[in-house]
Formats: sequence, C-alpha cells, structure tokens
Amino acid sequence: METKASTLTLRHPLKIFFAVVRALFLRELNTRFSQGRLGLFWTFFQPFFQIALFVLLHALILQGEELSTYDYTVFMASGFIAFNLFRGILSSSIGAFDANKGIFVYKQVKPIDTVITRVLLETFMTGVIIIIFLLIGFFLRYDNMHPENFVMVTLSFFWLIVFSTGIGLLVAVGSTFFPSIGKTVSILSFILLFTSGVFYSLENVPPEAQTLLLYNPVLHFMEMIHGFYIPELTTRYVDYNYMLLWTVIPLFLALWLYVRLEKRIISA
Amino acid sequence: MIELKNVTKYFLTNQGKRYILKDVTLTLPDGNIGILGRNGAGKSTLMRMLGRIEFPTHGKITSAHSFSWPLGLGGGFVGSMTGRQNVKFVCNVYGIPYEKRREIVQSVYDFSELGDYFDMPIKTYSSGMRGKLGFGLSLAFDFDYMLIDETLSVGDVNFRQKAKHALRKKIESCHTLLVSHDMKTLQELCQAGLLVHNGQLHFFEDINDAIKQYRRINQTQG
Repeated sequence: METKASTLTLRHPLKIFFAVVRALFLRELNTRFSQGRLGLFWTFFQPFFQIALFVLLHALILQGEELSTYDYTVFMASGFIAFNLFRGILSSSIGAFDANKGIFVYKQVKPIDTVITRVLLETFMTGVIIIIFLLIGFFLRYDNMHPENFVMVTLSFFWLIVFSTGIGLLVAVGSTFFPSIGKTVSILSFILLFTSGVFYSLENVPPEAQTLLLYNPVLHFMEMIHGFYIPELTTRYVDYNYMLLWTVIPLFLALWLYVRLEKRIISA
Repeated sequence: MIELKNVTKYFLTNQGKRYILKDVTLTLPDGNIGILGRNGAGKSTLMRMLGRIEFPTHGKITSAHSFSWPLGLGGGFVGSMTGRQNVKFVCNVYGIPYEKRREIVQSVYDFSELGDYFDMPIKTYSSGMRGKLGFGLSLAFDFDYMLIDETLSVGDVNFRQKAKHALRKKIESCHTLLVSHDMKTLQELCQAGLLVHNGQLHFFEDINDAIKQYRRINQTQG
C-alpha cells in the first residue's frame, strides 16, 4: 500500500465542482453504454422510429390532403427532438437525488451536481441525435433539412435547456420531499406532448384553442424553434416575456429552495 | 484538533425529538480516538457529522484537518457499477490524475482480494466484500483523519488481521477515529477514547478508562 494520492490538497470549490461533474458524467455515460448494443442502438434510433411513425400516421389521416405548406417530416423531427430534450431533463431530474444517495458520502458530491450532470448528459445525447439526423439529411440530399436560421435555432435550444433545468431542479427538490410530485410530473409531461405544438403548428389550430394553448410555456419554445427552422413558419405567436418569466422564476425558486434544503437532501 | 461548539443534534421521530447530542462543547486533541457507546447512542451520526454528510441541528464543528468519508458497512458505492468503476469514480471525484488513478486501482485490487469480483457489479457483493473494497480504497488517500465505522469487523479472520495491520501502518502518518464494539481492537489502535452517552460526549485520555466507564454504563443499564 505505498500508493498515495499526493494530490489531496485544498482545491478551489470550482475545481471540485468540475471534477465531480466530470466524474458523474463519465459514470452516467458508462451505465447508459453498458446496456448492451441493443440498448445503445435503441437510445439513438428510438426518436427516428417515433418520428417516422408520426409522419406516417399524419399522412394516413390526411390521405394526401395536405393542409400545411411546410415539410411535415422536418417539422416533426425538429419539434419532437426538442420536446424530448425537455422531457428527458425533466424525467431524469425526478430521481436524480434519490438515485445518487449512496455517493453523497463523499462530501465533494453535492446533490445539485447530479442534476447538472443529467442535464449535460441529455444535452449530449440530443446533440448526437441531431447530428445523426443532419447527416442523414445531408447524404439523402434532403434540402428541407437546412434550418432557415441556424443561429437562432441553436440559441433557442440553449434557452430550452436553461428553462428545462430550472423546472427540472424544482422537480428534483420537490420530489425528494413529496414523492407524489414526481408521479404528477410524469403524467403531466405526457399531456404536454399533445399540448405543446409538437404535432401541429399553432397557425393550424382554431383561435379559441390558440388562446388556451398559449398558456403552456413549452408550446412557445416549440413555436420558436419551428419558426426559426422552417421557412414557411414564423414566430409571431411566441411571447418572449412569458417564456422569460417561466425560465427565471422556476430557476430562482429552485435555487432558493435548494440552498435552504441542501443539507437535508444530503442526509435524507 | 476538532472543536465542537454548542453542538446539538436531534432527529424528529413520531415520539418527538430524539437527541443524539445535547449542547456539547468539547475540544478533541489530535490522536487516535476510539468511539464507544451503546447501540443507537449516536456513534455513527457523530462520524457522519465529522465527515460532513450530516449536520448539527445547532452549533458548529470545526477542524483544520481533512477527513475521509465515513467508512461504514453500507453506502459509498453505486450498485450497478463494478468495483473497478467505483474506484475510478471516487478517484475522479477527488481529482486524481490519470496515472495516479491507475496505480490506485491496482493497489485497491491487490488489497481487497476480490479477484474476479472486482469487475462485477457491486450489487453482487456481500457486505463483507463491500467493506473490503471501501477499506482498500480509503487507504490509497492521504487523509488527516480516517473515519472508520465498524469496517474492521468485516471479512474473514485473515482479512481482519490484514486490515488491522494496514491501518496500524497507515496511522503512523495520520489519525483515526474508530467505532468498534471490539474492545481489543480499540485498545490496539487507539490511545484515547470518546464515550457517547445520553446526548453527551465524554473524552478520556486513556482508552482503558473509556472502556471501564463504558462497561459500568452497560452494567447499570443493561
């Protein structure tokens, strides 16, 4: 036992934070990739099958009578991937503290690190899926795959990530003390799939339904991404102030609650 | 030196507050201290507070020293990951560079005597195997204080001897706070003793006095 970790000196808190998040990230990546080849294949190609299925259903229902002027496949793909990112961050936040309870014995590991890691992981996975999509489009010379405004689409995704992180952290803290919150969120995120403008553009929806749907912040994000991605669509329904409120308030509420409850989460 | 200032710790239960420590102010000198107390007196909670994963309800515990994570029978590992992956993970948490990490993995592999189990998920381990892995891992780091909660009583006789021997060598360059119900182990490894009883901490400079007092408590109450 001559081996000694001579590096066990005082480290800057930020340095510890990065080391912990890196360790957690590698760990989570490892568990995902060790599910076997089939598991890995499914992780990346599940969205493709789902999108293909939705596009097929859409074509079957409309029977060739196209209502929209835009490319529905691209519409479906961009919206569904974005929504899955939101839903992935949300659902992986629910169990983040509980699943990592065992490693809080290392005082360097703070509960919030586990949520941040899962957000990074979901972002990473989504990034890979987007790249696969774009590559397929590129090799098939599918020109509609080019986003109308690449920069704004990228920024929209980043905003979506920040928004999801706020809600995710709130859910993570809440579900630790009230497990029913976790269950409610799971059901809610399923309902959101149909009310967030993933399958339809808001312009094809009757005006009465529009006002109701616009209360859903996730719909604004989908409309924003669709508007910037697809040339035929605009962002005229998007209310940036409303989205900002839904980003800032949950994020600060979550951080405030987290700081107050961190010790209780660690020793729970 | 470890300073406790007006430390109170209680848990809320259905019967009300259950006190572990009640307004304890105490300075522990540096050294190897054996911790004694009846079951449920709060030995493990005290260890967890020193390891900063449990926190006093009131008051403060301060020390300039670095503490290991509390080496207990349970936690500290991720069940779905192998022993090797867990060791790597802990090294990453402590920011150990790649080369050093490889050495540590090898030394833990050698020490823990897990063989093929080292590359199997932790959930397939017995509690003794977990204890071996955790103990081997902790030896690879240079803490000022090793917090050891009963881990020395895991495994077979051979391993226990080996662990004791390794710890004795280790504490030449650091200190230990040791929870054990085995008085012989305490006498062998510790000079001083700390008795946790009725929400109070009693420090004894001689471990034998602590053991005597502990026996007296057991006789009057047991």
